[in-house]
Amino acid sequence: MILAVLFANSVGNILVERFNGVPAEERLHWRSFLVKLGADNLKGVKNEELLVACHKSVYIVYTVLGDVSIFVVGKDEYDELALSEVIFVITSAVKDVCGKPPTERLFLDKYGRICLCLDEIVWTGLLENTEKDRIKRLIRLKPPTEF
Amino acid sequence: MAQPLVKKDDDHDDEAEYSPFLGIEKGAVLQEARVFNDPQLDPRRCSQVITKLLYLLNQGETFTKIEATEVFFAVTKLFQSRDLGLRRMVYLMIKELSPSSDEVIIVTSSLMKDMNSKTDMYRANAIRVLCRITDGTLLTQIERYLKQAIVDKNPVVASAALVSGIHLLQSNPEIVKRWSNEVQEAMQSRAALVQFHALALLHQIRQNDRLAVSKLVTSLTRGTVRSPLAQCLLIRYTCQVIRESAGNTQTGERPFYDYLESCLRHKAEMVIFEAARAITELNGVTSRELTPAITVLQLFLSSSKPVLRFAAVRTLNKVAMMHPMAVTNCNIDMESLISDQNRSIATLAITTLLKTGNESSVDRLMKQITNFMSDIADEFKIVVVEAIRSLCLKFPLKYRSLMNFLSNILREEGGFEYKKAIVDSIVILIRDIPDAKESGLLHLCEFIEDCEFTYLSTQILHFLGIEGPKTSDPSKYIRYIYNRVHLENATVRASAVSTLAKFGAMVDSLKPRIFVLLRRCLFDSDDEVRDRATLYLNTLGADGAMDETNEDASEFLFGSLDVPLESSDEPFDISSVPREVKVQPLAEKKAPSKKPAGLGAPPSGPTATVDAYEKLLSSIPEFSSFGNLFKSSAPVELTEAETEYAVNVVKHIFDQHVVFQYNCTNTIPEQLLENVTVLVDSSEAEEFAEVASKPLQSLPYDSPGQTFVAFEKPQGVPAVGKFSNILKFIVKEVDTSTGEAEDDGVEDEYRLEDLEVVAADYMQKVGVSNFRNAWENMNPDSERVDEYGLGPRENLSEAVNAVINLLGMQPCEGTEVVPSNSRSHTCLLSGVFIGNVRVLVRLSFGIDGEKEVAMKLARAPAAQQVNSGKLREFGGKTVAAREELRPDKRDKKRKRAGVREGAREKSRETALEVKFAWKKRKGRGRSDGICEELFMGMNREVACNLAFLTINEKGKARMEGWCDGDGLLLLGERRWRGEEEEEGKGSTLAFTEKDGWIEERMRWKGKMDGSSWMYGDEEVEEQHRVEKDGLGCRFDEVVPVIEGPIGEGKGDLGSPDFRVSSN
Repeated sequence: MILAVLFANSVGNILVERFNGVPAEERLHWRSFLVKLGADNLKGVKNEELLVACHKSVYIVYTVLGDVSIFVVGKDEYDELALSEVIFVITSAVKDVCGKPPTERLFLDKYGRICLCLDEIVWTGLLENTEKDRIKRLIRLKPPTEF
Repeated sequence: MAQPLVKKDDDHDDEAEYSPFLGIEKGAVLQEARVFNDPQLDPRRCSQVITKLLYLLNQGETFTKIEATEVFFAVTKLFQSRDLGLRRMVYLMIKELSPSSDEVIIVTSSLMKDMNSKTDMYRANAIRVLCRITDGTLLTQIERYLKQAIVDKNPVVASAALVSGIHLLQSNPEIVKRWSNEVQEAMQSRAALVQFHALALLHQIRQNDRLAVSKLVTSLTRGTVRSPLAQCLLIRYTCQVIRESAGNTQTGERPFYDYLESCLRHKAEMVIFEAARAITELNGVTSRELTPAITVLQLFLSSSKPVLRFAAVRTLNKVAMMHPMAVTNCNIDMESLISDQNRSIATLAITTLLKTGNESSVDRLMKQITNFMSDIADEFKIVVVEAIRSLCLKFPLKYRSLMNFLSNILREEGGFEYKKAIVDSIVILIRDIPDAKESGLLHLCEFIEDCEFTYLSTQILHFLGIEGPKTSDPSKYIRYIYNRVHLENATVRASAVSTLAKFGAMVDSLKPRIFVLLRRCLFDSDDEVRDRATLYLNTLGADGAMDETNEDASEFLFGSLDVPLESSDEPFDISSVPREVKVQPLAEKKAPSKKPAGLGAPPSGPTATVDAYEKLLSSIPEFSSFGNLFKSSAPVELTEAETEYAVNVVKHIFDQHVVFQYNCTNTIPEQLLENVTVLVDSSEAEEFAEVASKPLQSLPYDSPGQTFVAFEKPQGVPAVGKFSNILKFIVKEVDTSTGEAEDDGVEDEYRLEDLEVVAADYMQKVGVSNFRNAWENMNPDSERVDEYGLGPRENLSEAVNAVINLLGMQPCEGTEVVPSNSRSHTCLLSGVFIGNVRVLVRLSFGIDGEKEVAMKLARAPAAQQVNSGKLREFGGKTVAAREELRPDKRDKKRKRAGVREGAREKSRETALEVKFAWKKRKGRGRSDGICEELFMGMNREVACNLAFLTINEKGKARMEGWCDGDGLLLLGERRWRGEEEEEGKGSTLAFTEKDGWIEERMRWKGKMDGSSWMYGDEEVEEQHRVEKDGLGCRFDEVVPVIEGPIGEGKGDLGSPDFRVSSN
């Protein structure tokens, strides 16, 4: 299960957060935990360089893309490797939508498209689509090219 | 997204950087959402509004029920638009809003229409939305379309239906299970993702059918699975099949291993890693099987991707727990990871190295860790500290460098949790490695010199008070402790005063100086500190009035609290206090199973003072004429923990009488017991005659009460004997809702364990302040000297403790502590024997190369009748002849112990016999089963040895091992150490725990005859293995329930009932 996908800006404000199967009362805790994790470790990290952590039986893979930090949290079958796959899809989709590693402004400008991409990539805790071209078509309700 | 927004935030001056959502407000956005109702829809504007709504939702904003309903109804209007982008947004918005079941109906028809649309993407998205918001009844209507969608040519539609199936399986399994054929067909799809989703769904549908899963795995491992994700899933399912078939394939190759091994050569990293991890997690994996997987993981260790490095080192870390040797090849690669930028990876590498390192590499490793520790966060440091603790326990000889490391990091900066972990580790090392004690205590002393945590300071002071006085030079700690009185806050000062008092109580030579220090504390500014100083000065007798004995003082200082200090919300009500005096401390009900963890708990001692007992007994008219109470024993449990009625007994010794005080607790809320008595059978205690019995009128639930039985015995004689007990009572049903008992009761009885009065009961533990003076002042004519052979012992300390316990006397001047590895030791004991005879004993022990212990006992004045007799029983080579039990008693015993008739007959012919039976508790539930072992024709030492019993200083037995279906597998190795000419000498029996198996190795001369061993000339070696998973539970302590030291030399190893505590 992918428990959470979270986007934050460079000072730790949440841009997008999507939780699956995380009780509402635990979300705040997760949010602050992830933001702190990012603040502690993401300084000076190159774009798309993956960092990984585990907290009890839960894995976290996170990275930075332009001004935006991206966190993916998973458990069970979504271990660090599966999550790195998920985050790779997310970063490539975001880059695709924004045309480059986004500034915060650019990210917010493209907010709607990014939400649609996320909807295609993670579906209530399961990874669904993995190719950016396909996702690009799907969010415009175009069938994939391979078909 | 060019919505002009008012810039409010002063922090963001840069024009280009301001957020399009700056100053966004829910109310305003909801107003904007009215554009959805426009007859002429503007798709671009509508999309912008939806984006804003999504932004609000993603920020954690919530809509009220009314707001959500309004937005939802407005959004449904957007189905009229044919704009693709907007439609996609609408699908997303509906999912985010998750409408309630009464609202769903509004969009159902639109979505059903889309589901049958010619546009593929409408179909896929409609399926996803419908499945997200639908319930069971709607599902049956759309099931037909979903089945079609699963086999749709468009992979997006097929995947949408399959993933919907995975979600719906949770809520409507019976419907989804009907799709099995379609899902199977989708498995053959050319699209990789469809295959992946189909495999996941198919497995979930069949997960409860082992055979079907096995078939699925068999067919797929032979074929080709395109998607790497599906391949990973398949590897996981394969492992599941391997695990489940493990029991059936004892011989030959492990099924599917070749498949896993071939996956190690797959082109996708995730598949390689999955396979490697699967192999390392196989049950009972051999080193041949492990090698290729470890090689692959080793390559990952030097990968440029942190995720791969992390995954590899984490897996190797797990492998290192079970097969440290297999991982040693990777040590060099892991050492380079210590400097990895990612601290999680570095910490895992360190802890793995700590597990796989050998004794010689410890120092090098410690050097590397020292550099590493300065730049990681506290939570990682705690993991490292814990790993170092276990390393030190593994290589006790290396304690010096590891202890130094701990003390160094203790001095550095760090938070409370981290410091606590270090202090706990040092405490554990001090407890488990005697050599480390002095240096460890000094490190702790230095730490409290500059410790910012009050909690840690007080804990360390408490620990110092217990351990410090037992060291060779207690005086050197005083400075550190007294410094606290000057420099710290009131809490720490008060603890320091208590610790000083403990030193004063335990070390006579320091007493005068301690008094000086304590007197200075009388002028402290804090009430508590002053009160404690005053109290301790009086208790220790500083004012010259020696009315309190040392025993009382140390009991006061080291004993635990009588009554737990509970806080309660309810106001105190005097009428709820039971009339009968409650002397039974609650703490005694707990099963004595767990070792104190972390900072040492005080050694538990007798908690109820003689004073309280004396008052209680003199208030009962039947016993008021018995004279002065000489001694009260510690409570002896007569029932197991967690039985219906908990009973323990305190033996009160008077000059001419003995009174048994039975403390009873009723643990059944539905019962009220009345007229509770204990029926005592004293036929095995011939010198005792029952004179009085005081029943307990009423014993309600969870309110302890006492009943008494008094016996007369010859005056001044230390008569011994065994008593069997039956609890008799009238039981009445209680209505728990009203608390009222029924009028009619039923007579019932409950068998309790036997009780023994032993010689030690007639000995008061009374210390002397100066043993040498006291000894020299005794009449030299009354001195007696005897020599004893105590047989083979593990070490001197065990022998010393056993003798002290048998004699029931007070060790003086700390001589009960035997320095480890010493070959000889002198122990000084003091006590008062019944008839107020002061007894001093000087015991000299020596141990030879074969661990035979010899003891010389000198005592003044004579108290022959106790000591000689007892010691003869205790001595390994001078075991008394077996005492014939009376036939009726034998029957009773046999019934309880469950000893077989045949075995009984056989044992009659032998000089000695030992029996065991135990009840075992498994996990949370309990499983009663009695097992017995009969050891015949051997002395007690040998029998204990063969039974894997270790007798500790309190005369209690300890075992370590596992419960299996019908008995205990006891860990350890035992060698048959009989007399030289005895049969079977040199035979060994060993149980070891290894790689998930319990291995049993036996070697002896002889053969098996039926189920018993027969000795002969032929050397036999046998080896068995039992899988640990098949065993019930692990336990590490077996505590005898019954009183008295094990083995009274009567050919019976104490009482045959053991309590097993599992962990």
